[in-house]
Amino acid sequence: MTDPRILWAQVARAAVNWKLIAPLLIAVEALNWLAPASTSTMLTEIAILALFAASLNLLMSFGHMVSFGHAAYFGLGAYGFTLAVVRAGLPPEAALLAGPMVAALGGLIFGALCVRLTEIYFAMLTLACAQITYTVLFQWYDFTGGDTGITGFMTPRLGLSEAGYASFALWTVVLAVLALWVIVKSPLGLMIRAVGQDRARAEALGLGARKVQLTAFVIAAFFAGIAGTLYAVLHGSAFPDYAGLSLTLDGLIMVVLGGLNSFAGGIWGAVIYQLLSTFVPKVIHEWELVLGFVLLGICLAMPHGFVGLLKRLGLGRKGGK
Amino acid sequence: MDPILSARHIRKSYGAFVALRDISLDIPRGERHALIGPNGAGKSTFIACVAGQLSGVEGQMLFKDENVTALQPAALARRGIGRTFQISRAFLQMSVLENMMAAHVIASGRWASLSRAIYAERAERACAMLDTVGLADRARDRVADLSLGDRKRLEFGMALVGEPDLLLLDEPTAGMSIKERHALMEMVAARVDAEGRTLIFVEHDIDVVMKIAQRVTVMVRGAVLAAGTPAEIKANDEVQAVYLGGGH
Repeated sequence: MTDPRILWAQVARAAVNWKLIAPLLIAVEALNWLAPASTSTMLTEIAILALFAASLNLLMSFGHMVSFGHAAYFGLGAYGFTLAVVRAGLPPEAALLAGPMVAALGGLIFGALCVRLTEIYFAMLTLACAQITYTVLFQWYDFTGGDTGITGFMTPRLGLSEAGYASFALWTVVLAVLALWVIVKSPLGLMIRAVGQDRARAEALGLGARKVQLTAFVIAAFFAGIAGTLYAVLHGSAFPDYAGLSLTLDGLIMVVLGGLNSFAGGIWGAVIYQLLSTFVPKVIHEWELVLGFVLLGICLAMPHGFVGLLKRLGLGRKGGK
Repeated sequence: MDPILSARHIRKSYGAFVALRDISLDIPRGERHALIGPNGAGKSTFIACVAGQLSGVEGQMLFKDENVTALQPAALARRGIGRTFQISRAFLQMSVLENMMAAHVIASGRWASLSRAIYAERAERACAMLDTVGLADRARDRVADLSLGDRKRLEFGMALVGEPDLLLLDEPTAGMSIKERHALMEMVAARVDAEGRTLIFVEHDIDVVMKIAQRVTVMVRGAVLAAGTPAEIKANDEVQAVYLGGGH
């Protein structure tokens, strides 16, 4: 009989595959420093959106909570950082922590409302909370700058070069994704999955499902807030659109594109989505048409997304998550 | 008699349909108690009431002398009521061992922990429980790939992890062969006796009921028709007429 601890290690599969990831990161860093500045900016945006999608993926793939308002926490991160600089007078370096904290606080307040309901009603509440956030950012001219946002309050990228900031953003995102991995593989992550898969069973075992869902919601908001902060620093500005429905839909598309029910799905989805949205418009003006067909193909032929394709080709982690 | 559970005038209705009418029942500590009756008798509804899964329940449910009528399932589980479901419920997309480990994490109360130390601490016990319920060789398999009988076995093992004082099993042998039914329920009886637990189970296989239960309550159309030892139930003409049909 296999030793129980070894058996658990085989089942839990918590080890990080550095043999695959390290060369990939080195390649991205090399590209960042060797390619033109526009490539560095593109890599920065890909990394930021990968973190945003990974945070949404925590809710969707593990907690089985579909959020139609995740951009709210990206926006709260961006505005948390920006307002900490503009209104509180903090230096940008110190304000970096404010963005994720504000997003997490928003997640706590809105999450406490949303987890009272399940399924489509949960999704509609997340949408309502996001629309409230967007409207406040859009209308509160005295504080948030209203529809014109807040610009010109700092040197974009903290004064770093495009490549320098891309490197900073990339490694911040790597650390954040690793933190998400640790969470998913922890007892808390197991509980998030348990409640997502069968709430009644989890409760019958003595688990307070709402507490677990709220914790997942706050964590996802925090990491979306990091992404929003990085984005605000990249452009040295914050706009209400950062919390808009459009970004939420982008996030949902990224998760589906990459593959639901897989940790890497959101990340791969963000990479593919950003590459498509960068390069396809250079060939075809209506790039959304191409995206529509890609999504159709994914949904019909590859319900497990890009990660599912990798598995089919023998290139991904076999088994579950 | 020292009842671990006392149901007092329990009534539950869904609109105009009354699922339970004035059920009063005492379950002594350490007893193996069967609920039997035709489909629609209210057996599963009663189990759901005890487990706190229904709202709008009238009457009073006392568990270990505490009024638990309004408590939620998680709170009841933490007080010592474990259960399995009529339609097996487990975490389908997880492996069998992950299911058992999830039960251990919940039982430990360390659900918010980021430390994986509990996995190392509980791996041996999780595997031992899988061995007890005959699933040791399926540890790596996804629950969705298990047979119905194996899922029921897994659920039973998971329910035991929390060391419940009262165990509610809703049709634990549904979908199993006759041999499997007897084997599972003999294992269940041995386990609950050895650990001093109380068992309430809903069962349609009368042979299993007669063999395992120390007392039986017969329910018909949301009410208690009769209660007594298996021999008394067998000899009850009304029960014979309404449910057993003279075949036993």
